[in-house]
Amino acid sequence: MSYTELTVWTRGIIMDKEGRDIVNSISASARIEGKYAQAMENYVDNPDRTNCPTRKYCRVSDDVIENELTYENEQPNIVVLVEGTMVKGWDYMRGMPPGGTLVINTHYTPDYMVRFVPRPERLAQLVCVDAAHLADHKWLYYRLGELGLDRLSTEGAAERSKLVAPDIAAPLIAAVVKTTGIVKMQTIQPMIANKTAFELALDQLHIMKLNPVAA
Amino acid sequence: MSTKGTHIPDRLKIPFAGITPAPSQEKGQDLFPTGNWRAIRPVYRDKLPPCNNACGTNEKIQGYLDLVKRGKYLDAYALIKEDMPFPSVTGRVCYHPCEQACNRGKYDEAISIRAVERFLGDLGQALKHDVVKPGKPNGKKVAVVGSGPAGHSAAYQLARLGYKVTVLEKSPKAGGLNRGGIPDWVLPQDVLDREIERLVELGITIKTNVEVGKDVTWDDLKKNYDAVVLAVGLTEPNSVRAEGENKEGVHYGLPFLRDIGMGTSKVKVGARVAVIGGGNTAIDCAREALRQGAVEVTMITVEANPQEMPAVSEDLHDMLEEGVELMHGRAVTAVLGNGKVEALQLHPARFSGAINASPITVDREAQAERFHVDNVIIAVGQRASIKWLPDEFKTERGTIKIDKFGRLGDTNFFAAGDIVQLGSGQPLMVVNAVGDGKRVAFNLDKVMRGEFLQPRTIPVDVIFDLNRMNMTYFPHFPRVHQDLLPPASRKKTQDEVIQAFTEEQAVEEAGRCFSCGTCNACDNCYLVCPEPCIARPERSNGMYKILVDYCKGCRVCIEECPTGCLEGVPELDFDTGVVRMDTAFAISPGLHGRQAEELRNLGDRAAKNI
Repeated sequence: MSYTELTVWTRGIIMDKEGRDIVNSISASARIEGKYAQAMENYVDNPDRTNCPTRKYCRVSDDVIENELTYENEQPNIVVLVEGTMVKGWDYMRGMPPGGTLVINTHYTPDYMVRFVPRPERLAQLVCVDAAHLADHKWLYYRLGELGLDRLSTEGAAERSKLVAPDIAAPLIAAVVKTTGIVKMQTIQPMIANKTAFELALDQLHIMKLNPVAA
Repeated sequence: MSTKGTHIPDRLKIPFAGITPAPSQEKGQDLFPTGNWRAIRPVYRDKLPPCNNACGTNEKIQGYLDLVKRGKYLDAYALIKEDMPFPSVTGRVCYHPCEQACNRGKYDEAISIRAVERFLGDLGQALKHDVVKPGKPNGKKVAVVGSGPAGHSAAYQLARLGYKVTVLEKSPKAGGLNRGGIPDWVLPQDVLDREIERLVELGITIKTNVEVGKDVTWDDLKKNYDAVVLAVGLTEPNSVRAEGENKEGVHYGLPFLRDIGMGTSKVKVGARVAVIGGGNTAIDCAREALRQGAVEVTMITVEANPQEMPAVSEDLHDMLEEGVELMHGRAVTAVLGNGKVEALQLHPARFSGAINASPITVDREAQAERFHVDNVIIAVGQRASIKWLPDEFKTERGTIKIDKFGRLGDTNFFAAGDIVQLGSGQPLMVVNAVGDGKRVAFNLDKVMRGEFLQPRTIPVDVIFDLNRMNMTYFPHFPRVHQDLLPPASRKKTQDEVIQAFTEEQAVEEAGRCFSCGTCNACDNCYLVCPEPCIARPERSNGMYKILVDYCKGCRVCIEECPTGCLEGVPELDFDTGVVRMDTAFAISPGLHGRQAEELRNLGDRAAKNI
């Protein structure tokens, strides 16, 4: 029986959609593959506050997931930091069992970033992907008109674009799927809007192997 | 919920759930470190203001203007004295490259830096005891040859470093070019005398009437001193190579001024005087000739127009105001007269190269002009007189050969000032000589202490771009001008032409400084920070500190910094400033958990009263 918890740390409003896209697309792919999956992308963290730290949760299991009433992942196997500087901010590693994966959106290398990770000995691998660069991200302020309601405090309710991962989420999803195999590549790839960034990321990951746990 | 503005009973003044103190209140910041929101971190990094960079001796101009603005005149004076022995002199004679570089000049008008320097210099002159003290004696003896600007500066800095300094001066009075090359109406003798006294107060021995090569030899210097600084200057006037130049009534610029300065002049100028040359010395000679009784003074230059003349434009303007005529594009080919000069023979001429140090092409085919004069003053530059120097240390130009540290080979001899700067591209000005003397003194000290020499590095981050500063904070404001004596009266006297600033004028002018790129403790960041996360134990540059636990990287301080000294650096470039914080509703006890524990410890009494 395999049971995997994925926690995404992101920032309110400006990168909220990225976090949502990651957990939603992975859980949707898992269901297509016949697994059980949950995705919680809007709860206590109040993602309607610009820049505030916000978490999104996803659980994938071969069996029925007993835990239906709590939303926080107590033992995340995979942690994604959608914004690089969050690496210094919180104990995002809290509860991670040995053999975990940490994916960070940053242009720095894992060699540099590992110094900021609390208790990195629990990690099997540290993955750095320069998602903002691969997706040619222009940030909120440069295209406010284009983004419109999508990036205001509606937490996705008033989104006009229904595209999944049109932006920096695509390389991050590629990094998670390629390094952990949580879902199959062929299931998730068709969902992704920004295919160029997704494919570029498959080649341009920086992976640092740390303490692999024997299967 | 914040309790700001709410009265809280003492027993409740600890954090507890529901009511938390504001960040500005006691213990408030223990609860919510907000630093983990930050992607960039504000950093105080002083850049070099352009005035400081342009100054020949790199005076901390921004620093002393700021101190004058705050009324700390003595501190300001002490700050200048780090780089400059005689602000009262440069405050009068400097060609102020700082003011040309001043960023305010691109905005409205440059700051009158020289006038403020003179204000401070005069203040220093009035002090009974100077603020500068000699260094702890280190038992080493140094000779400084020449007491002009470079020698004065080197001797001063070496005395501060603890050396036993002896200045050797060939003239009867110390001062070198400051005394002999600058007229009284620019730099009064008593001002210079007072500065020389200051050198003596520092424990420096000044031996006048001692000429190297005549009274003292190279070997004597080598034997009697641990190290020597040669700041002998350029003493021999250049000739114009005209026929009959040796006639009576022909004078040379620097000796003409020097004799008047030393009080040994026997020159009586006639009514019509011609000055040959277009530089600063020529201008001083022309203006001095008027004061010596000349009625008509004409300046004859090879340059085709006033803009090409290698002179300070202010001085040129003042000279023209006093009634000196200009005659351009001519060279003297012969001095005519029977034993005494009666007229000059002039031919059209121009510089063969682009710069006015290049050879002169004289059109001798053209019709010669005859120009009637009673006296001629030739001021076309100077050259060195260093016959006593071993040949291995001479350059082809007749100057002293030094390495980039100002040292002669691997000897303990150093050279500074015009004697090494001629032809190096450096302007031959007082402040450049002072700067050279200072740097050489520091290098000499390093050699004496067996340390490695380092070439002078020019800091790259000079803030020239006004866009790097917040110009909204600087309203347009006119420059405070120094008063001048009226041209009609001043040209007959030796009174100082340019008048000093009053205290109010100096403070007003110093207040116009932008403080380009350097923190001047304006407190803007401290006030605008919304967190508030800027701490300063004292309102002073270097005392401001960002509390990174609370800085959210909102950039407000950076945007609002008037001087541009605050800049944003990517947070991940720092190893430090890791703030591990638990978000609200955390599973395991984080800071909120601690808060709950303190609440539990409140006890029954507090709970009842809630």
